[in-house]
Amino acid sequence: MLDSIPSFARLVAELAKFPGVGTKTATRLAFYLLRQPDAAAAALATAIVDLKRNTRFCSVCFHITEQDPCPLCVDPARDGSLLCVVEEPQAVLAIERSRSFRGRYHVLHGALSPLDGIGPEELRIAPLLDRLKAGEISEVLVATNFTVEGDATALYLARLIQPLGIRTTRLAYGIPMGSELEYVDEATVQRAVQGRREL
Amino acid sequence: MFLEQLTARQFRNLNEVDLCWGPGFNIIWGNNAQGKTNLLEAVYLLGHLKSFRGARTAELIQEGMTAARLTGRLVSREVRHRLEVSLEPHGQTPRLDDKPVQKLSQFLGTLRPVLFTADELVLLKGAPAGRRALLDRAVLQADPGYLDRFHAYSRVLRQRNQLLKERAAPALLEPWNEALIENGARIRHDRQVFLAGLQQVLSGIGRDIADSSEQLSFGYPHAGAPDQLQAGLRREQEQLLARERQLGQTLAGPHRDDPEPLIDGRPLKLFGSQGQNRSFLLAFKAAQLIDLERRLGEPPLLLLDDLASELDAGRQASFFAFLRRRRGQVLITTTHPATLGEAVCPQARYFRVEQGRVEERQAI
Ligand SMILES: [Zn+2]
Repeated sequence: MLDSIPSFARLVAELAKFPGVGTKTATRLAFYLLRQPDAAAAALATAIVDLKRNTRFCSVCFHITEQDPCPLCVDPARDGSLLCVVEEPQAVLAIERSRSFRGRYHVLHGALSPLDGIGPEELRIAPLLDRLKAGEISEVLVATNFTVEGDATALYLARLIQPLGIRTTRLAYGIPMGSELEYVDEATVQRAVQGRREL
Repeated sequence: MFLEQLTARQFRNLNEVDLCWGPGFNIIWGNNAQGKTNLLEAVYLLGHLKSFRGARTAELIQEGMTAARLTGRLVSREVRHRLEVSLEPHGQTPRLDDKPVQKLSQFLGTLRPVLFTADELVLLKGAPAGRRALLDRAVLQADPGYLDRFHAYSRVLRQRNQLLKERAAPALLEPWNEALIENGARIRHDRQVFLAGLQQVLSGIGRDIADSSEQLSFGYPHAGAPDQLQAGLRREQEQLLARERQLGQTLAGPHRDDPEPLIDGRPLKLFGSQGQNRSFLLAFKAAQLIDLERRLGEPPLLLLDDLASELDAGRQASFFAFLRRRRGQVLITTTHPATLGEAVCPQARYFRVEQGRVEERQAI
């Protein structure tokens, strides 16, 4: 049936690529857009194009940003001696929401996973070491996810960082096994940051 | 607890089944290959989200159909729960009390059927993998949270094996060595704690169930507190690392442990007769039922698949005497309902299965 309406079929196919969205949901969303006024559809399209056009990864911390370096990296009120390492930009947002951390960030864009062919070269680990060697940072809080891969990545980083004489800590309490930080509530993240431990 | 109602749609050869079970003995009878075991498989799946025959989801859906659905109504401590599993070729969706399930272990903790099949008899005397499967299934039934820990360990194991296969540098392997020790020691601890708790029951039950005066136990090669288990696994790993690198696979860890059924302290797999083998499995299952009842505060559901074909009259009689005393719900498949009469299974309800159709009907 969709074959006879190519532009509708194309939108459904694009929407179905979203995480957690199947053909059924994609079709429902497409019908919703179809019923919207032209201006609403255009606003959505522009928002998507602008997102890609205006944002990039910060050249220092690799968080998503519209200006480079990002506001988190240049904010003079933040503590430059404290660095928090996370897997994904979403985790930065989660920790910022918890308002428990006033240092700076570094986004790895993934975790070590030999089965998926992801080794240290595939992550932003080399630029992390460059930042650490610059000398300003005295503590690294490793806030990778509490998954098998996140734990292994934390351990790998700890072994790299310790010879530099920098204190390495890990989020410790309250975060259930197998969870991704972006889905954990603020209070839990706050407790976890306060209860960090040596690696 | 008991399963009050079961419906199946397009599940294997069960096209449209709606059943009300009794709270005690339920005897599912009929000729072979009519769908009796499919019924038990459906109940097991509602409890464990897994087929006990190792079938993939696609195989569970009736041929030519795109989906299957199972629902069950369960009574536990006078509260009714509704379990539902929708099966599609590439996955399944569980719902508990008409709501999507947030954590799998929450669904798995609801209906905890204990299964006893004739197929398990070969596991005791076969390769270690079979005994591990038997033990892991029992640990999981006692503690649904074991599933998450088991999956975490399996994941670490696969990741580490991948690196060993690639002959990765020591620095890359190191975090996975640690992860394997931490997760592996946790599995050993879970298994050992479960067996220690079961041992009390198991040693008392041999005489009762299996009609034997022998001392039954389930040995496990590792014991101790979590940090001792970690230290032990670390030593094993250090010893075997060179060989692991050579072979490209992990040799030290709970995935290689051999849990050992013992009769009077001697390994069943070496010295046990066929009869002792059967007695041991009966005692193990009975101990598991008692242990689980203690944890749940009510008798769990028992599924018996085609037991009569494997047990002699004496063993069967003492096992059923045990079941009559404990008053839980039991679902039994058999080709010979006459052998499970009023004396063996009082107040039983009978269900006849023929070509995937089920009707409540007294055996003749
Ligand atoms: Zn930045």
